[in-house]
This record gives sequence, C-alpha cells and structure tokens, in this order.
Amino acid sequence: MYKYKLKRRSFIKSSTLAATGLIIGFTYDPKKSLAAKTKIKNELGIWIRISPDDTITLIVPSSEMGQGVNTSLPMIIAEELDANWESIRTETAPANSDYKNPEGHGGQNTGGSNSVKGFWNLLQETGAAAREMLVTAAAQRWNVPLEECDTKLGNVIHKNTNKKLSYGKLAVAASKIEVPSSPSKKSKEKYSLVGKSIQRIDVPEKVTGAAKFGIDIRLPEMLFATVRQSPIFGGEILSLDEVAAKAIRGVKAVVAVPNGIAVVADNTWRSKKGMDALNPQFTGGETPHLSSLNIHNKLITALDKEGKAKIDTEKSLDLEYEVPFLAHSTLEPMNCTANVKENSCEVWVPTQNQGMSMDVTKEITGLNDEQIKINTTLLGGGFGRRGETDFVTQAVTISKSLNKPVQVTWMREEDMQHDFYRPACISRFQIGLSKEGLPIQWENQLAGPSILKRFVAAMGWFGVDPTSTEGANELPYTIPDFNFDYSLVDTGVPVGFWRSVGSSYNAFFTECAIDEAAKLANQDPYEYRLKLLKDQPRYLKVLEKVVKNANWVDPLPKNHGLGLAIHKSFGSIVSTVIEVSSNAPGIIKLQKAWVVIDCGKVVNPDIVKAQMEGGFIFGLSAALGEEITLKDGRVEQSNFHDYSILRLKGSPKISVEIVESGSEIGGVGEPAVPLAAPALTNAIFSVSGKRIRSLPLSKHGIVIA
Amino acid sequence: MHSLMINGNTHQVDVEDDMPLLWVLRDELGKTGTKYGCGIGQCGACTVLVNGEAVRSCNFPVVAAEDKEIITIEGLGNNHPVQQAWIEEQVPQCGYCQTGQIMATTALLFKDLDPSEKEIEDKITNLCRCGTYVRIKKAIQRSAELIENQKG
Repeated sequence: MYKYKLKRRSFIKSSTLAATGLIIGFTYDPKKSLAAKTKIKNELGIWIRISPDDTITLIVPSSEMGQGVNTSLPMIIAEELDANWESIRTETAPANSDYKNPEGHGGQNTGGSNSVKGFWNLLQETGAAAREMLVTAAAQRWNVPLEECDTKLGNVIHKNTNKKLSYGKLAVAASKIEVPSSPSKKSKEKYSLVGKSIQRIDVPEKVTGAAKFGIDIRLPEMLFATVRQSPIFGGEILSLDEVAAKAIRGVKAVVAVPNGIAVVADNTWRSKKGMDALNPQFTGGETPHLSSLNIHNKLITALDKEGKAKIDTEKSLDLEYEVPFLAHSTLEPMNCTANVKENSCEVWVPTQNQGMSMDVTKEITGLNDEQIKINTTLLGGGFGRRGETDFVTQAVTISKSLNKPVQVTWMREEDMQHDFYRPACISRFQIGLSKEGLPIQWENQLAGPSILKRFVAAMGWFGVDPTSTEGANELPYTIPDFNFDYSLVDTGVPVGFWRSVGSSYNAFFTECAIDEAAKLANQDPYEYRLKLLKDQPRYLKVLEKVVKNANWVDPLPKNHGLGLAIHKSFGSIVSTVIEVSSNAPGIIKLQKAWVVIDCGKVVNPDIVKAQMEGGFIFGLSAALGEEITLKDGRVEQSNFHDYSILRLKGSPKISVEIVESGSEIGGVGEPAVPLAAPALTNAIFSVSGKRIRSLPLSKHGIVIA
Repeated sequence: MHSLMINGNTHQVDVEDDMPLLWVLRDELGKTGTKYGCGIGQCGACTVLVNGEAVRSCNFPVVAAEDKEIITIEGLGNNHPVQQAWIEEQVPQCGYCQTGQIMATTALLFKDLDPSEKEIEDKITNLCRCGTYVRIKKAIQRSAELIENQKG
C-alpha cells in the first residue's frame, strides 16, 4: 500500500546525464545571455538589473553555501561594470540552463570548487559589455563621441564637461543598445574591487538571524513533514501504525515516498512525534548483511587480486593505508519545501543542483520548465551532499499528493543514516628507493567504490572513475617508474561527492607514503620533497613559503613535532605544516597550522583565507574522529554524539598566506581539505614515532588535548 | 496554553507541555533565527538565553520556559557588540550555526567579560561544520572589548 512508484528508468536517464559532465560540448555565449529573451526595460541581460534609484542587482549563478560566491561573483561583474559596491544587491539565479557554469560539468550546479574559476571570464565580459552599453547610452544622450566618456562608481562621466549621469538614469536606454561584440576589459592595475578583502555581503543577515535557509521558508498554509527511510539501503515498509500516528495532535497525513514514509503535520515536532507513533518497520533491502568488516575484506580481496608489484631496490617500502566512509553532516539537515498545484509548482530548496532539482520536479509533476520555479535558498552547508535530489523528490511527492505547500525536514538521525557517503578506500604502495634514497619505483594500487558509476550506470559505463583516482594517479614528484592502478569495488553503500572528493583520501595516502620514504632514506621530509619537486617551480614556491612561515628548520620545543604535506586539487596548490605537541602517550595538542595556497588569481583574499581555514578544519575533523561504520546492513552512527565533529576546543590556530602567481585560476572551497590528514599524521609520527595508516585517529587511542 | 516572555514580548501558545522550545519558536512563532541541528543538545545551533543562561532549546520543553525571560537571536537586534564583532572578524561562512554561536557567546560574556582561552574552549562547544573556529575565537575576544568599550 505504501510502495512508492516512480518511473525510475526515465528518471535516471533524464536527470543523471545532466549532472555528470560526460555530455560534452554545450556551448555558452555570453553575448546571447546579455541580450536574453526575457530582457525587460532596466535589465542588461540575465545578469544585471539596474533600478532608477541606482541600486544594481547582480544575479549569482552559484549556490551560496558558505564559500562566499554571493560576494566574490558579484565583485567580478561590479569591477568591470565600474559600479559602486555600496549599490550592489544580489539574487541567486533561478533554475535555467543559461546559468550553467561554462566550465562546469553538465547542468546548472555548484561544485568542484568551480564557481569563480568557471564564471570568471563570462562575468568579466558581462560586466564590461554592460558598462559599454551604459557609456553608449550616455554618449548618445549628450551627443558626444564615446571616447570622451568614462565611468566611475556607477556614473558615466563626460570628461570634457564633467557632466555625469548615473547608471540608474541610463539603464532603460542602455538596455535597448546592441550588445557589444568585444567589450574591453579593465587592466588589472585599475582594479578597485577584485583583489581586495571586501566584507561579505551575506554576513550582516547571518549574524541577526534574518538569513533565510531552506529550513526557514514559511508559506501560508504550509504543512511540515518528516521522513523515515529504510535503515537497510533499498528496503521496503513491512508494517506501520497509521492509526497511532493520526492520533497525535496536529498530524494530517501519512504519505509514501521513495525508500520510505512521510508524516505530515502542522509543525515539525508533531510530524516527528507522529513518525515515532507510526513506528514504521522495514524489510528486505539490497544489502542486509553489510558490515564494515566485510567491506574491508572486499577491498582487500580486490587488492590481493590486483597483486603487489615486485621491487628490486635495496631499500623499499610495502605500505597499506585505509580510510572509512564519512558523512557530510551539513549543520542544516536535508530539507525542501514544495508547493505543487495543478498547473504550476514552486520549490524552495537549499541545493547545489538546480538542474537536477528541476529534472526530478518535472518527472514527478509532469509539468514543464515554464510551469516550475526552483528557488535556491541559502545553504546551511553543502560539501557535495546538496548536489543530490532525494529530499526534493520527497517534498514534491508529498505536496503533489496533498495539494498543499509542504516542507520536509529530515531529523538528524535520517540525515546521518541516509547520506551519500565519502567512499571507504584502501591504498597499497610498494616503493623502491635509489641509492640516494629517492623513489625510483612507485607502485600504488587503490581499491574503492566509484561515485560516478551511479550517475552513468544508464550508459553502461564501468571504466576508471576520475573522481576516485584524482590526487593519486599523477604526482608532482619526479619518479622515473610510476604506476597506479584502481580497482572499482561496489560496496553496497551509497557514495557521493564529499568536499575534495578523491583528493580527500588520496592526498593522505600519497603524502604519508612520501614521508615514509623520506624516513626510510633518513632525510628531512621538506628537503626530500624539495629534491623531488625541482622541476615544479609553482610547487616549490608554495613549499618554501610554508616551511619559512612555520620556521621548519628551527629547533622545536621539547615534545613538539611538525608535519608537512603538499597537494594540488581543483587547480590550486596547497601546502601545510602543522605543529603538534604531546606530553603524554596518545595525547596530542594541535598547536598551530600554516597554510599556503597558490590559486593563480584571487578575487577576495579574505574569502580565500576563510576557505583555507575552514577547509583545513573540515579535514582535521575527519582525520581526528569521523567514521561511518556499518553493521547488519545499517549505518551505526545516528547523531553528533556518535559521529564526532571537531569543536572549538582542539582546533589549532591557523595562519594562511596566498601566493598570487598569476597562473591559471584555481578553486579554493575544497583544496585545503586534503592536506589536514597527511600533515597531521606526519606530525604525530614526528613527535611520537607512531605511524598512523588508517583513519580516524580516535580509533588508535589518540586523544586531542 | 503557555505564556512565554520572548525578547520582551508576551506570547500565548497552545502547544503540548513537552514540545521543545525550539519548535515553538520556529514553527509556532516564526522566529526562525534559532536553528535545528540535532535535536539532542549536541550541536548548539538552537541556543537561546533563558534567564541569562545559554540553553539548547531543542531539548528544552516549553513548560520549563514559562515565566522566564527568553532571548533569541532576534532579541539582540542587529547592532549588538557580539554581532558587530562577528562582522568585524567576518566569521560566518554558511552561517547556519552562527546565531547559536552568538547566543552562546553572549551568555558567556554576560557572566565574565574576560574569559580565559580555556574557559572559552570549555563553554563554547557549539558545532561549526564550515570550520570557522579560528575566527569565532577572535570574535569572542573582540566582543568582550566592544562590550567593555560600550560600558565606557
């Protein structure tokens, strides 16, 4: 009776193709977008709206999940537009393929640390073109040559007479002017916004409580729902007590959703109480006997089948590293609000994936793009989890079934137990060292599940997943004989993109392996890396800066140790040193961390610093205490009492330096995450002689003071 | 019917005795600045002040809040020294936990304007998934300065 029916096959086809990036070759024409079909009188295309009172609204194509895009992306347009920053307002873009990231993967989504990187050129051109249209409108009005006009802080100025017209007064006329084919961009010396640590636009509302996250949406007559899904992945409802649920005050309905059941009430707490009374029991499922131990064994079996390489050098290493599944645990749990009517549907959702949210909404409602509006709210954390659409499917399904606006909020327990987890993996190394102690043969075998396989299964794809292998399949180090193999192992646990994805574990594996090689060669880990990076000037600069900042060569206080790591991900090179101390066995204090990043170009240095600090803490938290384990087919952890996230106590001081190399622009949201685990475990080795080869540290009896 | 004094105003709410204050604030009174994070008092996103004490409202029954002075993030206005410090230090990233962090800090500084680092670490135990702890620590110290200055 509660079995949910969804046209699963066509759903997978239409939505998942769009999200993988395997469909290559969509074209994107900023000129077209600027002259967009929907243009109204004060709009300069789909990106810029100028009011008569000179307020300028810039449309932000990416989801704001803390990484600062509501500030950094508008800064790029405003710079070229020569706008007055005080007059800037922002709005997150609706679901519309015109807002796809030109360098992104597939549909309209936010991920891969790709917002500034991917939109940089497009937004520059958009701002520059709009500026030129405003100048042209002013020149026409004054009947003077274009060359006599300039712009400053939201005004066009006639240089000869000092006459000026504000953008607000010119917007309507400018919107009728043809979009210039090759607008001239500012030279870097003239920048007044880009490169400056301008305060974030979203901070004031985030300190007053006025900021609206998905969970804060309130609509007239809106009902509140919560869900329970089969604790064994893919199970079905066996029994439930609908009478008991409906006896709870405020409970309005019980509705079937994919993989589970929803209770709808007049507030969130009553829906939860109703769910407890409903007491749904589940049966079946795809993997009822799944356990962490048998997943470990499966990975080992795959690696044994692959076999180890033979190393002939006198000095060699034979290593095995392992990481667990991890939860995203965004502090705002999964939620979505939908209002499905007969001929329209509106959705409010904290999503990283407007494209797929649109696709699932179309699939369930049978409505078309024009009838559906997807509103992206602020996201209380994303980290990859909100690229999924399971919660969108639920809200739209329930609202459609009740013909009422409905907000679905997951209780933390659901959020923890129904994630798409960071894959658990095992990595083996056989490394041969030269007489000088440098690695001349590097053999690395990785085994783990594939994230992309879920998305492209419909295409019959079963090759190597680049998101599993990134960070290990090539290294910056000069190693003559380098071999890397990947064994795809299906574990039965849903896996997904988790902040920094493959690099989140591969950097731990490879940067610890290099440290072990340095130790075997009896060489300093910094000097060892220097030798191996002699042909990599960008890496060298970052490495040299971080060790200088950390005073690597100076003697340390007693019982202190330093750990070093360097890794490139999402186009940015990051190196970190962490100092730890230990005055008793197993008790470690994180003293201080130094982070240096070369992300090529920088829009807002303070936002980059914040991402380095936050990313590093995110990685430390995982390394120290996070672990999802399975028993009898179920995730064992359920809330923050048994899934340990780092708190203020124990967090180190962090100093960040940015190297502006002018190289190709890289991302900043993810690249600090991978460094934490290797730097920390290398530091622990340095202070204690104890080499940790599996995470988290808590299971090795290590306690953070 | 429960009578609640929130941010200086009296509200009558017709809810069950055991309904957590969090959900009364959010779903009955529309004060959504106080957030749900865990429901078991672990994360602190739901922190409010009850008679000046930081309380995790997700497991604090409404009946226990009667006849007490409740202050939520909305009650701090928009120019409270702790909020100013949070802006100066540019603390928030996603921002979801920050209203709870600010309320916890307000309660801490209400009692002690010169908390030691250890005291800060022991008392401010709210989770931040974005990892803004470095800045939270600075902002707590800056908040104390601003409050001190305000006293003149």
